[in-house]
Amino acid sequence: MVNIRIKFRRGEEVKFISHLDLMKVFERAIRRARLPIAYSQGFNPHPSMVFGLPMSVGVTSEAEYGDFEITDDSLSMNDFIKRLNDQLPDGLEVLAAKPRKSKQNIMATIAASEYVVVVGTELECDEKSFRNSIKKYLSQKEIIVKKRTKSGIKDTDIRSMIYDLDFELQPLGDINIIKLSMLVSAGSKANLKPELLVDSFFEMLGGSFEIDRIHRSKLFVKAGEELLDPMDGKVL
Amino acid sequence: MGIKLSDKILKSVEKPSRYTGNEWNSIKKDPNSVNIRFAFCFPDTYEIGMSHLGMKILYHLLNERQDCYCERVFAPWTDMESKMRENNIPLYSLESKDPIKNFDFVGFTLQYEMSFSNIVNMLDLAGIPVLAEERGPDAPFVCAGGPCAYNPEPLADIIDFFMMGEGEEIINEVMDAYNRWKGTGKTRQDFLEDIVKIEGIYVPSFYKFTYNDDGTIKEFIPLKPHYPVKIKKRIIKDMDKAYFPEKIIVPYTDIVHDRIMLEIFRGCTRGCRFCQAGFIYRPVREKSPERLLELARKLEESTGYEEISLTSLSTSDYTGLEQLTTGLLEDMEERKVNLSLPSLRIDSFSLDLMEKAQKVRKSGLTFAPEAGTQRLRDVINKGVTEEDLLKAVSLAFNGGWSSVKLYFMMGLPTETLEDVEGIADLAYKVVDVYKNVPREKRGKNLNVTVSTATFVPKAFTPFQWEPQDSIENVHQKQMHLKDKIRSKQITYNYHENKLSFLEAVFARGDRRVCKVLIKAWQMGCKFDGWGEHFKYEVWMKAFEECGVDPYFYVTRRRDYEEVLPWDHIDVGVTKKYLISESKKAKEGKVTPNCRMDCGGCGAAVFKSGIC
Repeated sequence: MVNIRIKFRRGEEVKFISHLDLMKVFERAIRRARLPIAYSQGFNPHPSMVFGLPMSVGVTSEAEYGDFEITDDSLSMNDFIKRLNDQLPDGLEVLAAKPRKSKQNIMATIAASEYVVVVGTELECDEKSFRNSIKKYLSQKEIIVKKRTKSGIKDTDIRSMIYDLDFELQPLGDINIIKLSMLVSAGSKANLKPELLVDSFFEMLGGSFEIDRIHRSKLFVKAGEELLDPMDGKVL
Repeated sequence: MGIKLSDKILKSVEKPSRYTGNEWNSIKKDPNSVNIRFAFCFPDTYEIGMSHLGMKILYHLLNERQDCYCERVFAPWTDMESKMRENNIPLYSLESKDPIKNFDFVGFTLQYEMSFSNIVNMLDLAGIPVLAEERGPDAPFVCAGGPCAYNPEPLADIIDFFMMGEGEEIINEVMDAYNRWKGTGKTRQDFLEDIVKIEGIYVPSFYKFTYNDDGTIKEFIPLKPHYPVKIKKRIIKDMDKAYFPEKIIVPYTDIVHDRIMLEIFRGCTRGCRFCQAGFIYRPVREKSPERLLELARKLEESTGYEEISLTSLSTSDYTGLEQLTTGLLEDMEERKVNLSLPSLRIDSFSLDLMEKAQKVRKSGLTFAPEAGTQRLRDVINKGVTEEDLLKAVSLAFNGGWSSVKLYFMMGLPTETLEDVEGIADLAYKVVDVYKNVPREKRGKNLNVTVSTATFVPKAFTPFQWEPQDSIENVHQKQMHLKDKIRSKQITYNYHENKLSFLEAVFARGDRRVCKVLIKAWQMGCKFDGWGEHFKYEVWMKAFEECGVDPYFYVTRRRDYEEVLPWDHIDVGVTKKYLISESKKAKEGKVTPNCRMDCGGCGAAVFKSGIC
């Protein structure tokens, strides 16, 4: 038995597939590729694979991760990548694969995610005023948003879930295109959807906006107090 | 240029991956490299349409041609439709996202009468004139095929031409004719004049109907002497040589039948008199187990599916079943592929097979006695006795099953309250069988589900002359049965009959109901087969406004002499045979399975199959 961690990309072509459906895509691609994946025991055997953070429908990503268990020790990582990529539809691509010794799977260790959110707004703003707004936003003691949970809609303070927030401004005719990059909590303990941050930020600014697209650029796992790349040797 | 679907729209609708294409094994071609663009339209949702085998076959068959790009189109769900209309997005194909109004062909497969309003809606959403006569030189040809095409008249004003029977050969002949026509500067009429010579092509605008004072059809008249007066369906003679795709599309989102469908044969030899499929698909033609094993291996390889289902009207009647299932179980064991076996008659062989095939828990078994008494089962020629059924459920209970479903029809010709009570009796007998099985053998928690569906008389069956039982009568029968079933172990399911009433109009309607269809659509009807969208009152208003009496089609008994709206279609089975079956039904006489004794139905004219 060998454990493998892969990093993969989810492009425009497949960004509307749900998380559950994405797992099925991988399962069938692995079957087609005849990769020696391990199966669970029992009446309804399932391939042994675990994916990182479920992603909202409509989000693209260049930093998705999955852990697989295979039964053939002699299979090379390059072979695994090539055979799987040959069987994945356009928009899904394995970028890297490494053997993993750690017992902790990806899902359990994810701690933070970096997103780039492209927003259009008619709000008048320049570089300087926008920077000040971000400062003001981040200097708040608490940022209360309405978060949908299993038990209904709840007031939640998201300030501690925001590690970093930056922007790029591009005027486009009457509107401003703002590229917000943010590093926020992710995973099972605390998870902040980028939309919630954007909502609360523009609520503070008092202007209307529209999210054009959301892209995940990085994902991090926590080792001690450190945020690390999931492919980092220290966490594998 | 394909249309642009914004993220905002796609994020706001349910299951957006139904609208974005790009699935595994979907075909990508440069639209500029082909001469023919074909929009294959299924007038229902993606989940239903993607489960349909005929579409898979013809999609890949057309795409085998270098000169043709066939793309898929489904009815967008109502949330997506309103977004499309708000944003002026015309109906587009899933592959290239191009508007289908610029295609050469727009082809609909007709699987269910209650999807007809979606055809009108899809044409409108595409920006294609709904009426054939209003289509100009730039409009695509709108064609249709499939089982409901055997009574084409309710769609006669909409469809430019119908293809009768199995599509694998005829569609290629039409494409060849189109290549000869395209670019010559000849008219649409010229193209239709050319293809009407192909056997199986029906061009409704080439014919007219005259009517008697009582509203019945007087005559069906070809407008030119050389138009065929009988349009004969096409069939594939050798199923082993027939085209079958070795790659099929694997959808992203869950569809109704998300598995490999292995078609083992076409047609059925049983001759149940209510069943349209049993007559229109004759003669029975099988694929060989060798060919099926080869296909199964290739399809498993190209799709990665984890389940294979055998597809036919009656799996147990396949002569090579044992060889095929043994081979499949052997081949697929290592690949962890499940085998599912629908429409299997329950006996010791099949139960054993099911245990081997599905290593999953023992879920429900389904039986379809169709009628509650032997008398009525003889009328409908359902060759099942009470003894057969009780023996089969006893075997199942002894094998550890504890959940059975019993399917019946209500409103069958000659049905009385005694027959309805027979349904309850049968269900109670099933419960008794369970009680007599030793505790250690049977499964826990017996659950018998009785379901009744309202009978809809269909064209090309021995019951095509029969009135449908009225909505009120069937409702009373349902209440009566509900009253008779008082056991906690029996659940009774039934539904409203109004949809069956409308289905009955279109199943045997003539050309005059087409304007009602369009009127009802204008008044907001679509997705009629989906309970939440079915608007019976609106439909009734549409009938009234068009001056068409639905009861004329639904509850009227026809004479054998009457000219029926589908008499000009030749399915092989003759009217003479259907009359003799109708008479035998009234006498309660059964007709044996054609494998035992040829009844002379007429399907032998195709010189193939078991005839």
